[in-house]
Amino acid sequence: MSTVLQLKSITKAYGDMRALNGIDLALPGDAYISLLGPSGSGKTTLLRVIAGFEHPDAGAILFDGKRIDTVAPHQRGIGFVFQNFALFPHLSVAQNIAFGLENRDVDPVTDRRIVDARVRDIISLVGLSGLEGRAVTQISGGQRQRVALARTLVTEPRMVLLDEPLGALDANLRARMRAELRAIRERCGVTFLHVTGSEAEALGMGDTVLVLESGRIAQSADSDTVYNRPASPAVARFLNCYNLFAGRIEGGAFVGGVGRFALGASAPTRAASPAYAIRYDRVSVRPRDTAIAEDEIRIEANFVASEYSGAAVNSFFALDDGKVFEVESHLSHAAPETYAEQGRYALVWKREDALVYA
Amino acid sequence: MNASGIKTGLGAYTALFLVFLYGPLVVLAILSFQTGPEGGPQFPIIEWSTYWYKHLFGLTPPSRIAPLPIEQALVRSLGLAVMTMIVSTVLGVTAAQAFRRKFRGSGVVFYLIVLGMMVPGVLVGLGMALVANTLGIDRHWWSTAFVLHVVYTFPFAFLVMLAIFNRFDPSMEEASWSLGVTPARTFRKVTFPLIFPGVLSAMLFAFTLSYDEFSRTLFASGRDLTLPLAIYGTFSVEVHPNVFAFGVLTTLFSFALLGTYAALMMLSVRRAKRIAIQEEA
Repeated sequence: MSTVLQLKSITKAYGDMRALNGIDLALPGDAYISLLGPSGSGKTTLLRVIAGFEHPDAGAILFDGKRIDTVAPHQRGIGFVFQNFALFPHLSVAQNIAFGLENRDVDPVTDRRIVDARVRDIISLVGLSGLEGRAVTQISGGQRQRVALARTLVTEPRMVLLDEPLGALDANLRARMRAELRAIRERCGVTFLHVTGSEAEALGMGDTVLVLESGRIAQSADSDTVYNRPASPAVARFLNCYNLFAGRIEGGAFVGGVGRFALGASAPTRAASPAYAIRYDRVSVRPRDTAIAEDEIRIEANFVASEYSGAAVNSFFALDDGKVFEVESHLSHAAPETYAEQGRYALVWKREDALVYA
Repeated sequence: MNASGIKTGLGAYTALFLVFLYGPLVVLAILSFQTGPEGGPQFPIIEWSTYWYKHLFGLTPPSRIAPLPIEQALVRSLGLAVMTMIVSTVLGVTAAQAFRRKFRGSGVVFYLIVLGMMVPGVLVGLGMALVANTLGIDRHWWSTAFVLHVVYTFPFAFLVMLAIFNRFDPSMEEASWSLGVTPARTFRKVTFPLIFPGVLSAMLFAFTLSYDEFSRTLFASGRDLTLPLAIYGTFSVEVHPNVFAFGVLTTLFSFALLGTYAALMMLSVRRAKRIAIQEEA
């Protein structure tokens, strides 16, 4: 796959706050890329820099091999879908969609019939047939989302930037739109760069997942790798499915606040500071007197509460150093256990399941 | 005080407010139907008549009371108000557009602009007259007075537009750019239609403020009088109810304009609703 967009050491600061701190990035053509980052990680800034709404302080942006960092937004050929959709309230659904075709600077379409045909095609592609004449204030949130997408896609950009495009939709619709966005993108064959703060959305949608952390790309990999092998403790924390311990490595073991964990065979991942991560669903809860196997690690903690989420139960335990430890039990594996309130339990996991950063 | 007491108090206050607001107008309207030419601008009404309205249009037999010398002044004032409205609104829109981004010295420039509506009019008028005399420039309603009218009304247009832009969502413009549309065309096709109600208010402000501006015009307009000056001029001799009749007619004219505007708005809203309902069915 050819590279469509390349960013070279892009930095951008607002006063003392470094929003982007040397971003290096190469995005392939015809792919769905999700950009995951906590709020304040600079993800919206990054999109706005790529679109040309903000200027980077330093670095280069190459689009199709050409430098575009000094090119005006309307000459970049990059589409943008806003979180609030930013539809033109004085125009109807069809007029909103036709707007770019009719008014763009380069190669505007002046033939009414061609505009109508293109608008009709894209309206059926995104599933808005029958709403052409509506005012955009008279359609639902999901329909507005589709208008925003159709308005961008009809101009056939090589790349579309989506800034939390599902953030304004309710949960039910969000799940449906995820599949639809992927399907629409595949039919159009353009690159989508989808910014989101939701790890489930990023993992579920992206062919490639980029994780942004305090102005830097912390990881760029496929969903499976990001989920199973987060590149740094920060990525692991942000994925919201790892218990993390800070500490140090000492003689083949990780020494943290609640004890010594013997290390497995695999070498620790390099990171800025040592950390030990164990995924919520790799931990089993046992009575205190149960013996453990040789390759297992065991700590003790007091049960606090559990939370039922349909397919799984998440149980929260208080460690002796006061930190919270989370265990996820999938109900397809076993019936949910009930734990005694404030009861003391053994939390056990396999040595090899832990991720160690040093 | 209990809640109903407060309500009664506020009600009385509002009623009093309305009386003071519309009382003078009602009194003038009543007195404009005084009989003429012998009836004066005071109660009691000797006899109800439309004499002064006819007098205004020269439909009465000649009498010792001269017709209001306002024809020329009215045309001048309307012309001046239209000129002021156009220039101030264009300046107001463009200046407010500039203020959407912070720039170096924007605070100082802001206060410089707003100063134009705060400095005492008489002083500015006098100052303009002195400057014009010193430089040997003739004073006219379309030159010196016009400049002062713009200086006075521009801040109002500017502030109205500033408030409008404050609520304006800039992502709509960015969306347009990202579709390949130039900033200039984006302004014409997206920004302007959306700020248009604000532009109308700015125009209304500029027009009405200029139309009845007195103190600045007094010294700066030179020989040819504008309407407020001409009317004031007739007071210095003797006040006749023909001025009241004129006032009633101009007020009716304003109401007619506003009514037309409201009717147009209502029609467009109803049409939008009907389209929505048809598609729902």
